[in-house]
Amino acid sequence: MIQFEDVTKDYDNQTALRNINFFIDKGEMVFFTGPSGSGKTTLLRLIYMAEKPDRGRISIAGWEADSVKESSIPFLRRHIGIVFQDFRLLTHRTIFDNVAIALRIRGMREREIKPKVYDALKTVYLRHKSDSYPLKLSGGEQQRVVIARAIVADPTVILADEPTGNLDPDTAYGIMKAFKTINAKGTTVVIATHNRELFRDTVRRVLHLDTGNLVSEDLG
Amino acid sequence: MPLPYTVRLAVQSLFKEPWVNLLSILTIGVGLFIISLAFLIVYNFDMATRKLPDKFSLNVYLDHNLSQERVRNIVGAFREKDAVYSVRHIPKQDALEELKNMLKDSPFVFEGLDDNPLPDSLEIKLKEKALGLETVRALANEALNIQGVNEVDYGEKFLSTIHNLKRGLHSFGAILIVILSAGIIFVCYSTVKILFYRKMDEIETYKLLGATKGFIRSPFLIEGFLIGATGGILSLLGVNAFYYLSVLKLSLSIPLFSSIIFPAQFFLWLPVIGMFLGISGAGVALGRMKY
Repeated sequence: MIQFEDVTKDYDNQTALRNINFFIDKGEMVFFTGPSGSGKTTLLRLIYMAEKPDRGRISIAGWEADSVKESSIPFLRRHIGIVFQDFRLLTHRTIFDNVAIALRIRGMREREIKPKVYDALKTVYLRHKSDSYPLKLSGGEQQRVVIARAIVADPTVILADEPTGNLDPDTAYGIMKAFKTINAKGTTVVIATHNRELFRDTVRRVLHLDTGNLVSEDLG
Repeated sequence: MPLPYTVRLAVQSLFKEPWVNLLSILTIGVGLFIISLAFLIVYNFDMATRKLPDKFSLNVYLDHNLSQERVRNIVGAFREKDAVYSVRHIPKQDALEELKNMLKDSPFVFEGLDDNPLPDSLEIKLKEKALGLETVRALANEALNIQGVNEVDYGEKFLSTIHNLKRGLHSFGAILIVILSAGIIFVCYSTVKILFYRKMDEIETYKLLGATKGFIRSPFLIEGFLIGATGGILSLLGVNAFYYLSVLKLSLSIPLFSSIIFPAQFFLWLPVIGMFLGISGAGVALGRMKY
């Protein structure tokens, strides 16, 4: 599903990732962990092809990073649901519209969009907030809207960058529960986090990054 | 049926940034209004010069004492020419009568006049397409080469003035249209560019979620289309108001204004021209931006 072979990424002569190798199978739930600046976000950006590697090979669901055309990248991203660290919510649009946008860019009809958006909001317990605006919601609720947007189009992979950020433990637990539910339905889930508490009690693969190197791999 | 999402985005953007859009619409409206006025002037001048064939004639004076057969031959030679619409033979007797008629208040002019000093002449009317200065000049020279033709008179200065004025007005109109159209395209270009940069975060989010360039560009193209069309409608209203409230009122006191022709069917194209210019400006802006 996701394969990195000797991947290196540099920014202005500084190496963000160095000779990274891993393979994530379909339906897996994998954690990337490490301190700030260890390369977690860069790794996710390479997966959704917001960046290209300087060296090495990346293959995502059959799409090769070194040969994919610029015009094909949107179609790759439609297989991926992304939970951004900075949420990237459209503050002047309602919660419904924020979730629906993931379907609208796919050209889905409005009458098909409505039930799917309400289903996704129900999954994250925010059905009643569909007419609210993002800035009226708490941090945890905003985070859940982002998850709803990521899952609404039934992607094959979910990428989550620090999904529990500065949330309190109870909210973080609720969000992790949502990810596990999604993963149980067969969706591959990749979470980048510095919060070890998130995977302490789960039997999942955890890959440790440090200053751009993949230093170890174990079960959480 | 709900509007497509990209159309809704464009309409929402129009109302979300009312001042930028209003300013663009007004600028486009004024630009197209000025183009319309220039067109009105050129059109009316052209219409006026179309009546020129009725007023304009080439007067050919023949030699004295030509035989009737020779005169008939000369008339026939002119009738065969492509540029000629009609030829009227004015016998010298008729010409004298006409002159006497014109000068009937001054009969002393003709005292002591035993012989008719006037020659036979031909009044030649030309077709509209032949009313160019060069064509008329060439025809006059050809006429002078015909045996039996003594003199040709065709008001060269008048024709030359009309010709130069027409050419000048056409050039002025064309330059004005090009400059103002470029200005309108630039206004749309700048507006779309401003709106695009203001929405850069939103666009980046769309991109990361899998939006194609087409999805991102469509609302801006539609917005350019709407801004241009609204500017066009505004100029259509403006030019109609100008004609019906100013020209028609002035024509009551100044008769010259009553001869102004208002080609309403041409002005109905203004919204379409506005749309085209609006889309062009938006298209240029989107083509030049990296995203």
